[in-house]
Amino acid sequence: MTGRQIISELVMEPGTGKAIELLKGQVLRIEQVEGGQCADFNCFNLHDYKEFMHCGRTRTVHGFHPTTGTFMWSAPPRERAMLYILEDTVGRNDVLFPRCSAYVYEAAYGFAVHTNCHDIQAEAQREYGLTPDDVHDSFNLFMCTGVDDDGHAFMTRQTTKPGDYVDLLALMDVLAVPNVCGADVMKTSNFALKPLKLTVFAATDADLAQVPKTPMLASQRTPKDFRNPTIKTDRPLRRDPAYKPEFPNTPIVVTDLAVSLSPEELAMFNAVKRSDIYGEDDAAALRDLLFSWWEERFLQAHAGAPSIEST
Amino acid sequence: MAETVVKLRLNQQQLELIDRTIAQGVAPDRVALVRLALHEYAAARKAEVHKSGMEQAQ
Repeated sequence: MTGRQIISELVMEPGTGKAIELLKGQVLRIEQVEGGQCADFNCFNLHDYKEFMHCGRTRTVHGFHPTTGTFMWSAPPRERAMLYILEDTVGRNDVLFPRCSAYVYEAAYGFAVHTNCHDIQAEAQREYGLTPDDVHDSFNLFMCTGVDDDGHAFMTRQTTKPGDYVDLLALMDVLAVPNVCGADVMKTSNFALKPLKLTVFAATDADLAQVPKTPMLASQRTPKDFRNPTIKTDRPLRRDPAYKPEFPNTPIVVTDLAVSLSPEELAMFNAVKRSDIYGEDDAAALRDLLFSWWEERFLQAHAGAPSIEST
Repeated sequence: MAETVVKLRLNQQQLELIDRTIAQGVAPDRVALVRLALHEYAAARKAEVHKSGMEQAQ
């Protein structure tokens, strides 16, 4: 990175977070001051807080440890790239673990009050009128995690050093909310709470040129496309007596397609069909084969994730 | 020998995908597409088994 203009700088002290208006084309750097500190992160569309970053979509597209060259995506039905990770000097982030919460520290450690990422996020987001219920699943920067052989997520110590950083480029105007993770009795931040430095830069042309193009699809819907675009403002749920379901593509109608297999083709089919799953149901086994083949031959993206066009 | 008829049960969304694939010129019709899928899928599995055997032999 050279030639970026600094717009603002701030040090987040332990136990705190900060909501930052990060406009399209600006870069937020989250930087280690002493090293060894996890940062939890939330992100909202600045002009419509109902669009927010979705760890589920992000981990499906980029895996459990998104790093340089990946995006943070918003939740369905928006599913837009909100931020792009321009640079990551460590390469170890987490989208498996939820934010730590007061409950965790009370239930597991007996604390009546303890710094925790949910409450820190909520307090930082309150500056923009959001409530504790608006805090969403956290993108955990610098958090070293994995999955063990039994399928359980685990966390361990991190090896970040002073000056390590992650640069996030805004692809739309967002409210970016990092916080110093409140966990000092877990390995997350090596058993201590340390400050983190935040710097907002104007992206350079070279920064912007790094971003791969992402598709613009009709399925990326906004409130103008919603049957109910009005945000509910009271808490109880009451049935709408005028509601008539309009589920897309219903009713699902099944049609038979008869396929004649020659003896050679039948032998071929018998050699590869998934009898372990479908037993004697050859129709289901052939349907599986058909769409498995289709995925192998035509599917561009991993696990149904949005495809990303290369520049 | 007689041919064996397998009756696939496909819904309208699955048929839409099949028909869009046919429209790309991959196969002339639905049945031909299923046959193509079978041939290519089986060939790919045969190649995998062959590759695996070669690697074990090395």
